[in-house]
Amino acid sequence: MSTVALKNSEKSNKKLGMKAKTLIGQIILDFILLLLAATMILPFIYIMMVSFTDGSVYVSGDFILWPKKWSFDAYKLILNGSGFLNALKSTLFITGIGTPLNVIVNAGLGYMLSKPVPGKSFINKAVMFTMLFGAGMVPAYINISNLGLINSWFACILPAACGAWTIMVMKSFFMSIPDELEEAAKIDGCGPLRIFAIIVLPLSKAVIATFTLFALVSYWNTYFSAVMYITSSTKMPLQVYLQKIVLTSNISDVVDIQLELANTVPQEIMRMAAVIVVVLPVVCIYPFLQKYFAKGVMIGAVKG
Amino acid sequence: MSKRVPKNNAMQKNGMPKNGTNKSVGKRMYEYRYIYLLGIPGIVILILFNYLPMKGLLMAFENYNPHLGIMGSEWVGLKHFQTLFHDAKFYLMLRNTLVISGLSLLTFPAPIILALLMNEVRSLTYKKFVQTAVYLPHFLSWTIIVSLTFFLLSSEQGLVNKIAVELGNEPTSYLFSKVWIYPIIVIQSVWKGIGWGSIVYLAAIAGIDQGLFEAARIDGATKLQQITRITIPCILPTVVVMLILKMGTIISVDFEQVFLMNNALVKSKLEVFEIYIYNNSIATGSTQYSYSTAIGMFKSLVNTSLVILTNWITTRKGFEGVM
Repeated sequence: MSTVALKNSEKSNKKLGMKAKTLIGQIILDFILLLLAATMILPFIYIMMVSFTDGSVYVSGDFILWPKKWSFDAYKLILNGSGFLNALKSTLFITGIGTPLNVIVNAGLGYMLSKPVPGKSFINKAVMFTMLFGAGMVPAYINISNLGLINSWFACILPAACGAWTIMVMKSFFMSIPDELEEAAKIDGCGPLRIFAIIVLPLSKAVIATFTLFALVSYWNTYFSAVMYITSSTKMPLQVYLQKIVLTSNISDVVDIQLELANTVPQEIMRMAAVIVVVLPVVCIYPFLQKYFAKGVMIGAVKG
Repeated sequence: MSKRVPKNNAMQKNGMPKNGTNKSVGKRMYEYRYIYLLGIPGIVILILFNYLPMKGLLMAFENYNPHLGIMGSEWVGLKHFQTLFHDAKFYLMLRNTLVISGLSLLTFPAPIILALLMNEVRSLTYKKFVQTAVYLPHFLSWTIIVSLTFFLLSSEQGLVNKIAVELGNEPTSYLFSKVWIYPIIVIQSVWKGIGWGSIVYLAAIAGIDQGLFEAARIDGATKLQQITRITIPCILPTVVVMLILKMGTIISVDFEQVFLMNNALVKSKLEVFEIYIYNNSIATGSTQYSYSTAIGMFKSLVNTSLVILTNWITTRKGFEGVM
């Protein structure tokens, strides 16, 4: 009898121990992930707090998580300088024209390749080949220069407007749309362009949203193509502007304000404010589109 | 009439008799004219910006002179490639590229571990939060990430050095140190890519039959045993494919990152193909166009062979179903 009771209590102890163990494990796990997430989020909170700190209370050695005295001076200086306005204009042009163009062009070609058009397999191969082999930097540069696109924003937009991977993912998505829907519309007298616009595109919301996000972010982040192809400093996009502010010592030149004005705010605060200004749109848009891209990427991963 | 017959045969062979077997290719093309209209912008862009530049590859076999153009310049055959293979600089670039890629290959398990950890999180809200946080860096530009690194590590304004000075130590100039530059680059890449890289593994884990775990639980398997005996073996095909794909990019480094992290003191560690090409042709407007093109072409060819090879391996091993 007693041995059975002992065994039973042992068993329940063991069970309790197991439970405690899994609980501790769960806490440790959550903590590790919290640390990881913190490395992604804390830098921005820190930078934001510093950027809002008033220059008069800012001591270079302090670690600030809450400003002792708030101030928007750095932002005022940056947003009023013509350096920022020019850069913003460039980036808005590149992103504003580039994003819709990219999505329309890729969706169009993807849709074409999802239909049994004559010449499809050749075009398919030609698209895939661009994924395998690129001519390289110098030929691309000579090509842009031959096309007369040097110092034009279109040199940053057009080469990035069409991507093989995007086309292939879109193609496989369009192929998964049941033919019956399009057939029915056709019988109702819908032309192919209208079918594409009012049936296919609305059904592909997740994919379109995902690639809109990708295009948006990649155009917003345009950096090296601008360094290569844009020659006049007033046409440089935001990323180049930011790189100059953080990595050059002469901020007033880049921001394009008077030196005395720039000196009223410590360099570090100016730099961090610039980072926040450039990163903010991406950070703001991203959570809204997250539910779409998780889906879209899965499609890409499974079928691409 | 006699012309139409073979075309029809070819069409039937392709298995596309759907819209009228008796129509000629021309007629069918006319039928699809609006569909072509949708595809044409993309085709034009691909021709203009992906295929037209390939003409420029001829420069690698010439002494290119911008005034004479690609067709008019002097033909020198393989001279630049011969120079290339005797150039000590070339081997330095190759070494740097392989070291950087090799180090990033070492961090390959990081997203897998993250996916395994995230999969064990019970609370859905917490999981969403972690996912939102870890995917974010993927969308940040290298300019932002290098700026963050600067705020963290610069000798005067960097947080790490401020703390070091506070504690009475000398500041270290990490960003100008040949010892620190590789670790910094690797950490940056992991920080940027770990969350995004974990998505594909999370998808693979989500695809595992839940009955397996149920059975294991009934048999008294611990969580750790479930992970090592069920989860990992089940996602192994995905892991292998990703590893092979990663091997295919071993000749490429993230150019913008290296370009932005580069400075005079760490140059010898970060000089990779693209940096050399850029500095010796476009940046300086010098006359080394041809030699730079040859270097770029060498890199592209190696890259293409690696991609073809890795694709061949994945298909041959029967992993094509995974991707």
